[in-house]
Amino acid sequence: MKRGLAIYAVFAYAFLHVPLLILAVFSFNASRFSVWQGFSLQWYRAVATDENLIESSLNSLIIAIVATAAATIIGTLAAYGLWKRGSAWLSGSLYLSLVTPEIVTGASLLALFQWIFRFAHLRLGMHTVILAHVGFSLAYVVVVVLARLRTFDPVLEEAALDLGATEFGAFWRVTLPYLAPAIAAAAMLALTVSIDDYVITSLVAGVDSQTLPMVIYAMARRGVNPALNAVSTLVVFGLGMLIMLSERLRRT
Amino acid sequence: MKLRNPFLAPTAILMAITMLAPLAIIVVYSLLTRGAYGGVELPWTIENFTRLWDPVYGVIFVRSFWIAAVATALCLVLGFPLAMFIARSGPRKNLYLSLVILPFWTSFLIRTYAWMFLLRDTGIVNSILQALRIIREPLPLLYNDGAVILGLVYGFLPFMVLPLYATLERLDPSLLEAAADLGARPWDTLVRVTLPLCAPGIRAGAILVFVPCLGTYLTSDLLGGSKTVLIGNLVQNQFTASRDWPFGASLSLALMAIAMVLLFAARRRGEELL
Amino acid sequence: MNRRTFLLGATATAVACSRGPRLNIFNWSDYVAPDTISNFEREFGLRVRYGTYESIPEMLAKVMSGNSGWDVIFPSAEYIQPMRDMGLLARLNHDWLPNLSNLDRQFQQPPWDPRLEWSVPYMHGATGIVYQKSLGWSPNAWSDLWDARLAGKLTMLDDPPEVFAACLKTLGYSLNSADPVQLKAAQQRAIAQKPLVRAYLNAEVRDQLVAGDVAAAQAWAVTAAQAIAAASERSDGVSVSKLAFSFPSEGFPRYADNVAILRESTRIEAAHRFIDYLLRPQVAAAIVETTHTAACNGAAQRFLPDALRSDPVLYPPAEILARGEWFAPQSAAGQRLRDRLWTEIKT
Repeated sequence: MKRGLAIYAVFAYAFLHVPLLILAVFSFNASRFSVWQGFSLQWYRAVATDENLIESSLNSLIIAIVATAAATIIGTLAAYGLWKRGSAWLSGSLYLSLVTPEIVTGASLLALFQWIFRFAHLRLGMHTVILAHVGFSLAYVVVVVLARLRTFDPVLEEAALDLGATEFGAFWRVTLPYLAPAIAAAAMLALTVSIDDYVITSLVAGVDSQTLPMVIYAMARRGVNPALNAVSTLVVFGLGMLIMLSERLRRT
Repeated sequence: MKLRNPFLAPTAILMAITMLAPLAIIVVYSLLTRGAYGGVELPWTIENFTRLWDPVYGVIFVRSFWIAAVATALCLVLGFPLAMFIARSGPRKNLYLSLVILPFWTSFLIRTYAWMFLLRDTGIVNSILQALRIIREPLPLLYNDGAVILGLVYGFLPFMVLPLYATLERLDPSLLEAAADLGARPWDTLVRVTLPLCAPGIRAGAILVFVPCLGTYLTSDLLGGSKTVLIGNLVQNQFTASRDWPFGASLSLALMAIAMVLLFAARRRGEELL
Repeated sequence: MNRRTFLLGATATAVACSRGPRLNIFNWSDYVAPDTISNFEREFGLRVRYGTYESIPEMLAKVMSGNSGWDVIFPSAEYIQPMRDMGLLARLNHDWLPNLSNLDRQFQQPPWDPRLEWSVPYMHGATGIVYQKSLGWSPNAWSDLWDARLAGKLTMLDDPPEVFAACLKTLGYSLNSADPVQLKAAQQRAIAQKPLVRAYLNAEVRDQLVAGDVAAAQAWAVTAAQAIAAASERSDGVSVSKLAFSFPSEGFPRYADNVAILRESTRIEAAHRFIDYLLRPQVAAAIVETTHTAACNGAAQRFLPDALRSDPVLYPPAEILARGEWFAPQSAAGQRLRDRLWTEIKT
């Protein structure tokens, strides 16, 4: 069975990564169009000198990291709270945030913000984007962590309490380590959702908070643009390096 | 109840701001009339809801549900073995998990364009098939429902794999060994031991895939050639080109209501998603 | 350097960069030359933040609150009057726009803003048919797009006003029609055409035309010009393209994008300077060379290379342009009906 799974995994990973390979190959294309016409680094040069792209990448990174951190922490706490003692309206609103189409979330958040801004002298900006991102990532975090919690035996916590731990101590030292893989998975999910979000972000972003997906969307709508290939290849390469590095560190 | 439990407080506040208040606004909008150039204005009306009974919209809803269901099923079938592989891979599991996520940190739009590039008549898939003489004429791989489903599966696979992994990872291999010792064949072990144990993960994954698939519009626009209207396209249209926010609001409320009904119908005691 | 330091440093840099009021310009994507903005910044000592949008409704949603932070926007002609009615635009001060006279004569008193009080025409174009010369015949009319020979290799624009325009024109009606009878007839035409249509694509069709996947497409002139240029080869010192463009004989839509200043702007004078800068012939010519659009700036023609100046797609002769019809704003009822009919077409 293990061999079968491994073979299957190879095909599955190929399916996931082949488009990336295509993108990478064509990021070195000398021509602007989808016909290969020679090797060139011009698109990478274009990306490195594009101020817009760099600024928006930085914005995306900041937003994603802050929002993911906040959503993971708050969501984990919420999952735990819901597991201990449910809350119908909280579950309901988390459900709702999952089933609402992005355009609706975005448009209604925009309307809400604009209504609030009539009284408070604020504007759309990084803060509104981060708030929106935390909002829609929460449900994902809660779902993943809660799924893991369902397989956790409450007896373990009770045992800890019997042995003299405080409620929070039991949570911190017994439950949380058990949840670690799920929290990691949830954080990754939240990061993914945040870093690639276009619809909601484009609606609630302010003048100073253009993100990478917004810039990419604009470039991509005009047709194939190898500069985009260069961007995504760089992102994948950079992240791939990070992953390899963390794997190397883990082994030491 | 919400304030008594400190674990829930931050979430409660956030949900109130980012979910409930906007929801209230959506409900209010659905009862108003569209402004001439977007936005809303008085008078109050229920016209936006009576409009929903038009059979045109029924067809759209059904088609969207069908496509989302197929995509979800495929994600489950394709994602389960992968999740199992990762869960069993021992010390390397974080690496493999990251490799699943890695493609999704590039832009969804760019990845979709990459698929369009692959599936075109003059694209790589057709070129290879023709070179191998398997087909004579290029296959129409793009601009149909199949391409849309492919795009959806590709886009949402990690949303299925991650929750599955989270529950599979906890699965004690000795349980499976025990089943084998008792004479169960691998398939039986799968169906009667593994699947029930990771049912919460399956349900989580199914929700996380099915629901966004319902609201998708970019995929059907790009990979479907914009030839069919799904609910996502319809709603998107109302908020942008048609500038009919009230009707978009009532459409979304209908969609959300149906999705909520389905979600609650699929609940099991002690295994709720949320 | 650890992660935290890096993040702090990056944040500090970002904050520092954004200090000092910038001129915030909101434009369609791909609508300036690579150095247009940086040259402006250098010459006038101003910092610019340049954002882009993909559709007018998207832009409108942002600026309708009157508190968006943007200073300069580029609305299409049919939105000037509505935006003016909504009180979103600032009145232009012609004293600060000495280069206005550079505008082409036909744009000095455009129908949507005869005294140029609110907007300055920027780029214009038309919609027509791009096709492969290898077809062997030339689709010179909209009705040619219903020809069965094009089955599966035809694309139309994913833009309701454009598709309705083509259908209405084949029936001999105005493309701005709000008459339910005419619109329903146009809808029937679109439904009849649907089996032939490969996909509804906007600017993305350029790639497919160059690759040969698409034989004929309803396309904007700018997309056509770019596709033709990309699919051409030089032979005997002359550029020959695989693609060609035609302005349909029944009439076609014309569009014009304009530059305007938002009333909420706190940098009105700087915004004027930017508009005046755009009106310089060399600046406009540089943009045209990059984007293959047709400038409303008549004086820029001198600075264009021959190939662009005489490009029949971008600068067709006047008698062809006379067949064109400008898009006009739709009433709320008209918009409702069109939207409903469009949904039915797509279902």
